[in-house]
Amino acid sequence: MKLLPSRKKQSEADGSENGTEEAVAKPTRAERTARAKQLATHHGTQSGIDVAGWVDSRTNATGIFTAMMSRHVPKGTNWFYTLGSATMFIFAMQAITGVFLSMYYTPSATQAYASITHMTNEVFMGEFVRGMHKWGASLMIILIFLHMARTFFFGAYKYPRELNWVIGVVLLILTTVMGLTGYLLPFDQRSFWATIVANNITASGPVVGPYLADFLRAGPDFSATTLSRFYALHMMVVPGLIAALIGAHLFLVVKLGTTAPPWIRAPRPKGARPTEVVPAGVAVEDGDEVPVNGAIPVAGESETTIDEANEAEGEAVDAETPEQTEDVVAPAEAADESAASAGEPGTDVPQAEADADPDARGGAPTDDSGDGEVNS
Amino acid sequence: MSEPLNKNSKQPGEEPRVKLPEAPPRGYFEGESMTRRHVFTVASQAIGGVAAAAVVLPVVGFAVAPLFTRGEERWEAVGPADDFDAEDYKQVVFTEITGIGEAGKTTAYVRKGSPEYDEDPNEFIAVSTRCAHLGCPVRFVQAAQNFICPCHGGVYDFLGKRIGGPPVRPLDRFQTRVRNGQVELGPRYSVTNQLKAVRVRDPGEFTGGIWEYLYPPRPSTFPPPSN
Repeated sequence: MKLLPSRKKQSEADGSENGTEEAVAKPTRAERTARAKQLATHHGTQSGIDVAGWVDSRTNATGIFTAMMSRHVPKGTNWFYTLGSATMFIFAMQAITGVFLSMYYTPSATQAYASITHMTNEVFMGEFVRGMHKWGASLMIILIFLHMARTFFFGAYKYPRELNWVIGVVLLILTTVMGLTGYLLPFDQRSFWATIVANNITASGPVVGPYLADFLRAGPDFSATTLSRFYALHMMVVPGLIAALIGAHLFLVVKLGTTAPPWIRAPRPKGARPTEVVPAGVAVEDGDEVPVNGAIPVAGESETTIDEANEAEGEAVDAETPEQTEDVVAPAEAADESAASAGEPGTDVPQAEADADPDARGGAPTDDSGDGEVNS
Repeated sequence: MSEPLNKNSKQPGEEPRVKLPEAPPRGYFEGESMTRRHVFTVASQAIGGVAAAAVVLPVVGFAVAPLFTRGEERWEAVGPADDFDAEDYKQVVFTEITGIGEAGKTTAYVRKGSPEYDEDPNEFIAVSTRCAHLGCPVRFVQAAQNFICPCHGGVYDFLGKRIGGPPVRPLDRFQTRVRNGQVELGPRYSVTNQLKAVRVRDPGEFTGGIWEYLYPPRPSTFPPPSN
């Protein structure tokens, strides 16, 4: 209550200076209400009911979709980069066919085999749907290993994507658990004895093994509960975990971007002489360190230089982080010495600090300077 | 004016001359040891934790209960006592686990105790066909007088002791008794290399030596017969 008069006084003081503009700019209460009503009924009265637009405006679905799908990718991206999507497609296929197979399957030791033979031999397209699920399981394992090999040989598991590698390994383990639990469900001789053997391998683990096997089997021996337990793990628990982890995996891919193949060179830094060969593994920031006509750029300018260099050269990114770190630090020290001898500590000190700690710029880490720009 | 008005005001690096009582941190009222905001944060987290535990604990207990539950002791007659002799095994099939149909049946080789092996002639020996390597079904080969496993080549002698291949211990046995002239088979038990009865273990687990301690007893199994 105390504040109100003084605030009013302030507005009066402003009004005395440019009172005419204030009066024009400020709509009256009635005008604002009318405008709000018009906006509220706009879709319904003037352009039909735009449900998609309404949902989009409430959820920002287009924005999220654009951010996820319209990402810039590094130069050199090739067909090997589709292996992850292929694995995810197979997972979706397994989920869909699995849901429909469960409509005919009976998870009971006495009826499981009969229900499998029924759905395979008598249900329309049963053999095909079950075949997709059965062969898709093997295909998923193969694709996962190919995807993993691509990640390994392209060095895409390195900083800052270590966590995504770890999530991927957990996904691989969960997929093998799916294979193990799904193998029992047909309940033929092979299923049964394979599960017996797998359980006994589990049991032969030291100390916790016997209890773990008891947990899997739901008792000291294979029993009626074992099949329903495997079915529950195969149907509910593990697929849920896999779906959640795939979400995390994709989130990190979108957030961190992808790496260029190792044979793609880093972009030629701005200022480097055209004849100068930049060896693979040299950081983009090294460009700032190359003295052009004796001028050492300051830290504030160098950031612009990097972005420009990347835009000019495409999104090629180098994955050799350890080498890079060395290369970043070493020239900074050299520049430090030369500048000190020249008697210009003022321009040099922020430069050295900025280069010694790439993260201090607030931008993406060194090998991601391209991606960082892309995702912003 | 050399003396500052506020006696607690100090030059840099100088200790205050008068120690004032320390003011309580912002948001605290007198006598409180934590802010009200903190109290509510902790309380709501605690209530959430209790609610989560109320769901998770019963469910986990439900899932691990079979580890601590022992099934009913089951005996099944496999034939008249006169049918078995001490010289050779007779193959019998009986239901070890109920409720899973054919999958619950198992094969055992039964014979009378033989004085040749220091066994009571009135007792019956029932050797399980579950291989002590990974649980494949073994077969008694008459010509060799050995139990042979088809999976990985485990070989056991007439008594079920391991004589070759990957198994780590002799073949399991079943408890036996005679009721109404019928031989009955009961719970399974494992044996050491000296054929001493121990609590049943899964295939692949040692029953003797220091390795035995890697495989602690499970509450879901029956105690071994005394011998």
